[in-house]
Amino acid sequence: MAEKIKLFVNGVEVEVEAKKNLIDAISAVGIEIPHLCYHPALGADGNCRMCLVGIEDGRPPLVPACKTPAREGMKVLLDAEHIKKIQHDVMELELINHPIDCPVCDQAGECKLQDYYMSYDQKESRMTVPQVTKGKKLDFGSGVIHDQERCVVCGRCVRFCRQITKTGELGAINRSDDTRINIFPGRPLNNRYALNVVDLCPVGAMTSSDFRFKQRVWFLKKAPGICHGCAKGCNITIDHNRQKYEDDIIYRFRPLLNKQVNGYFICDEGRLSYKQENDGRLIEARLSTQPRSIDEILTASTKEIDRAEKIVISLSPNCSLEQMITIKALSEKLGATLTGYSEGYIKQDDGDDFLIQDDKSANRAGLQLLEIDNSRDTFTGAIREADLLINFNNNLLLSFAEKEISKLLKGTKVITVTSHDTPFTTMADMAIPVASFSEYAGTVVNSDNILQSFGKAITKNIDLDDISGIAARLGSPLQTPGERFAALQQIISALNGFEPDNIPAEGLKLKESEAANVTA
Amino acid sequence: MSDRSQLISTGKPFQYDKERDAEFERLVKRYPTRESMILPSLWLIQEQEGWVSQEAIAYAADRIGTFASKVYEAATFYTMYHLHPMGENHICICRTLSCWLRGKQEIVDYLETKIGIKPGQISEDGKFSLEEVECLGHCGTAPVVQVNGEFHEDMDVDKLKSLLATLL
Repeated sequence: MAEKIKLFVNGVEVEVEAKKNLIDAISAVGIEIPHLCYHPALGADGNCRMCLVGIEDGRPPLVPACKTPAREGMKVLLDAEHIKKIQHDVMELELINHPIDCPVCDQAGECKLQDYYMSYDQKESRMTVPQVTKGKKLDFGSGVIHDQERCVVCGRCVRFCRQITKTGELGAINRSDDTRINIFPGRPLNNRYALNVVDLCPVGAMTSSDFRFKQRVWFLKKAPGICHGCAKGCNITIDHNRQKYEDDIIYRFRPLLNKQVNGYFICDEGRLSYKQENDGRLIEARLSTQPRSIDEILTASTKEIDRAEKIVISLSPNCSLEQMITIKALSEKLGATLTGYSEGYIKQDDGDDFLIQDDKSANRAGLQLLEIDNSRDTFTGAIREADLLINFNNNLLLSFAEKEISKLLKGTKVITVTSHDTPFTTMADMAIPVASFSEYAGTVVNSDNILQSFGKAITKNIDLDDISGIAARLGSPLQTPGERFAALQQIISALNGFEPDNIPAEGLKLKESEAANVTA
Repeated sequence: MSDRSQLISTGKPFQYDKERDAEFERLVKRYPTRESMILPSLWLIQEQEGWVSQEAIAYAADRIGTFASKVYEAATFYTMYHLHPMGENHICICRTLSCWLRGKQEIVDYLETKIGIKPGQISEDGKFSLEEVECLGHCGTAPVVQVNGEFHEDMDVDKLKSLLATLL
């Protein structure tokens, strides 16, 4: 546990973590110090002056809380008249040139300036001179649209591009009340994390061209999740909404803080991968290309399984541990060859040393943990002899050229259990639709051997079973979530003492011995 | 203050001439980091071209090895960098206290009628540009006029007449 110290806020004693600045230390116990420019990932800048507080120990009457480390016995003053006045004054300065376009601003509802106006200002404007006008809807590249007039020049976006991505596309141009954020002409935002500036921006100056004008934020329901875009397993907030008479739709992914995994950020590719949860989905069962009911196809599938001599079961490296173990149990029962071959999910040299991984699947470590073979030879060897392939959401067209796979699958019946309607789905003899990762609960292990669990975020109008459910209906002995979790506990000792719903939010770091298979 | 964010593009790549190139390399050794060269590199550009173009900023950034946005910031922050072409003869008149009290306005008025432009403007033939600037640091010999970087102290209208004669 972190070291604790005691200090006083407005005369009341509170216990906070040591070695933090006042904003972070005190906010952890629920006391807000307003701030615009400070961000824990970017450090203290001290330019907005919104976090000025009093410290009663003889130092100057006002100090910026972002630059003041919490100390034992410190007497912090937040509610004195002179502090309230300075907060009001800073707000008034910030609002001099700020357009009052909240009704059409995407940030409205999650805007710091709006919130702070309600909490610390609430005064009418005294300005009688015209406002300084600046650039509107500037395209900064990478899907970032900038409104210079809404900007409060906190510099978070500038610092993000210089400190985190080290690409430095943005700068604070001009000075005084003409200062504005801009790109250098011809050198737009060109990094794979650019859309994080939209989250970092405390006001509506940075907006995402993908999200803007799509949805008012107060209509969005928020659910935590794990991004399945690559093996990093970044924590995300899934913002979704079911409009009247419509289906539940995801409008955006935003990063969710997990210091052990992704910190405060996610990559743009992962952020925009929400679209794949909405679009291109398979929602009906199919016999060849003809729609059928799921029950009908399941019955037909069972018949095929009974008839088959040699079965191969392949599964996606995106499957959760629960799904993998259910499929593994099914495979053992049927005496099938189980393969997780999915080389096509790996994009060589695509990753970087920040978040993006070469492996574009969420749970390859899980495959190895459950000792599921993922070699090409096993797959091709087994498939040549097999007369039935049951494919669990593994898009084989990523790993094989179309000609190659159709040659391999000649004379083999294919049942595909899939969340998406891909070209491979149309190649299958039977297709069974299943839930995608935002629609089921499960656990995955990331590239750093951190096991994370996630809950069901979305309930679609057609609430499809997930892969475990279908595997169970095809005869897997692991019929219930409880049985699956218990089976996982047999293999992963770190899960002992936990229930599926009380795995720590920051994830469980698997020990070397537990992860021994992973590096194999 | 005004908006200086609109840079002018010459459409041609910029490069230091031999002399400035050598000067850049001489100066770079002075500083602990290459980023310290942002202001001097802009001065060298202005010395060479009389103003700072978009291409020149990009050149300086790449030469220093820093972000173009940083050089852009510095060039737009400091008004002494000209971001558009100035007159052949750039005349600065100090407008800070000593010079003001010692009659800078007479000088400005004379120049305005003589050349036909106001401070901040460039004459149509491109020969002159006027600018009122803050303290030039020669308060003891106010008022001060600076022509193409050269100081002319204790100025009055008569002295200005003979000075202009050498420029016309």
